[in-house]
Amino acid sequence: MTALTFKLATKPNQRLDLSPLTPQRLAGLSPSEIEALPIGTSREPVTVGDIFKLKGNDAAKLRLVGTDARCDRIGQDLAEGEIDVDGDAGAYLGAAMRGGEIRLSGSAGPFAGGGMKGGAIEIAGDVGERAGGVVVGETFGMRGGRLSIGGKAGPMLGERMRRGLVVVQGGAGDYAGARMIAGTLLIKGRVGRWAGYGLRRGSLILSKEPKDLLPTFGDSGVLDFNWLRVLERNLHATGAHVKFRSRARRLMGDMAVLGKGEMLILA
Amino acid sequence: MSKLKIKGVEIVETFAEAFPMVGTRIIITAPSREWALIAARTMTGFATSVIACGVEAGIERELKPDETLDGRPGVAVLLFAMDTGKLQKQLLNRVGQCVLTSPGSACFAGLEGEKKLKLGSALRFFGDGWQMSKVIGGRRFWRVPVMDGEFVCEDKTGLTKKAVGGGNLLVLGRSYGSVLAACTRAVKAMAEVPEVITPFPGGIVRSGSKVGSKYKGQIASTNHAYCPTLKAVVDTALPLEVEAVMEIVIDGLTAPAIAKAMRVGIHAIAAGGAAEGVTQISAGNYGGNLGPHHFHLKEIIA
Repeated sequence: MTALTFKLATKPNQRLDLSPLTPQRLAGLSPSEIEALPIGTSREPVTVGDIFKLKGNDAAKLRLVGTDARCDRIGQDLAEGEIDVDGDAGAYLGAAMRGGEIRLSGSAGPFAGGGMKGGAIEIAGDVGERAGGVVVGETFGMRGGRLSIGGKAGPMLGERMRRGLVVVQGGAGDYAGARMIAGTLLIKGRVGRWAGYGLRRGSLILSKEPKDLLPTFGDSGVLDFNWLRVLERNLHATGAHVKFRSRARRLMGDMAVLGKGEMLILA
Repeated sequence: MSKLKIKGVEIVETFAEAFPMVGTRIIITAPSREWALIAARTMTGFATSVIACGVEAGIERELKPDETLDGRPGVAVLLFAMDTGKLQKQLLNRVGQCVLTSPGSACFAGLEGEKKLKLGSALRFFGDGWQMSKVIGGRRFWRVPVMDGEFVCEDKTGLTKKAVGGGNLLVLGRSYGSVLAACTRAVKAMAEVPEVITPFPGGIVRSGSKVGSKYKGQIASTNHAYCPTLKAVVDTALPLEVEAVMEIVIDGLTAPAIAKAMRVGIHAIAAGGAAEGVTQISAGNYGGNLGPHHFHLKEIIA
């Protein structure tokens, strides 16, 4: 059994909806049935067979090769299994996924991991706005699982997140952790303006102090946090390349709302 | 029939009768090994027997920094009780009063298991609304603000209903000193066995008890058959030359762990040989009708 591989053969002439390409939806389908699945988003119909060349037979492990920024909804609603993407991804990568694992070698568009409930997404490159945030039409952001971003994250990272962990290696845009309800954001590198805007509960762990700190955050000073040791050891165990110490400056806010959240600026 | 002997010490052909218990394990960590031990010793104090302590508890072993969730030195603690409700109550009282209060401590689950006991999920209320929960790697931890920073405590710990309490060895000797020395040696050796504790002071109990008493309301009383001063007046179990008897009681998460600890203990006791002064190694039972676990000494050393 080799991974069921979808190789981009024709550059798409429209945005594609690749949400049918998940292990749970492909289970039991024959190659010709898979090729007939519609993935177009315009009046002009497009099927899997029009764009991709199929190889392999193990639908529990999918491989997408050569995808670009117009390939939306890769791994959306994923429940189990693995999706390896060699290329870029459009919007909604792994949005609302419940389990399984997605790995992306390139960069992803907006809403990567938006509203995800479980499982893990590993993105080597950058992500657009609202990664781990609220998907259009929903009320909450990420509700569980792990989202790792090797590059830079766009604005509104983890918006209205409730649970789960986001790790960003290359900094984030404005409003990181906006309106967060709970959960953990760990951001290495520069963070844009107004991080923690509307933070109710939850933790933003930052390697650098944000440029424009919201005036609605109070300072608790530099302290030792044992839970950071637990977090760091867990990250190492899951293969993440992050190192930090347990000392951090604790800013609490956003006092404009509940104010029980924290920004831990690593010492 | 010749008597079974190891180095001249007689292994009495009898068995230890043990009972089912519920057990749990927690891991206590601290900034140093010393402080982890202080917290663990404090919470396992006054936990020798369920008769009056509510729980039997002890230190299972020390953990190196690379074995704990937070990378600090730790101690694994085992607790045993007769039912889940009692174990739950004692766990919260003891962690709440002895670990939460101990400088720099943190407390983690040490046992998996379908059934869970509340840990941080109840102690978090000490945080008066400032407590914070963190889910890391699928496990929930509570951060409770305290005067030296934060008390990190896992939400729940596992529970086992397959635990066994009351595994025991009785050591009879011609001299007091030899019995104490042999038992001390045995407790030290048994401490290396995983999944067991010896809950009595230093692992040894000198006041073995029988069920009931001549006095109303006294549920347990001295095991007169093993009291050397009463040889003349009771149906004694002791040869005339025996000066002292001491008992090592063992609780374990599983029956095989107790059997292993008893085997290690028997060999450690007998290591001094008959010349040291220990004459017999026996075990306590109630005739076999009360406890479902019977550890026959003969089978254990085989």
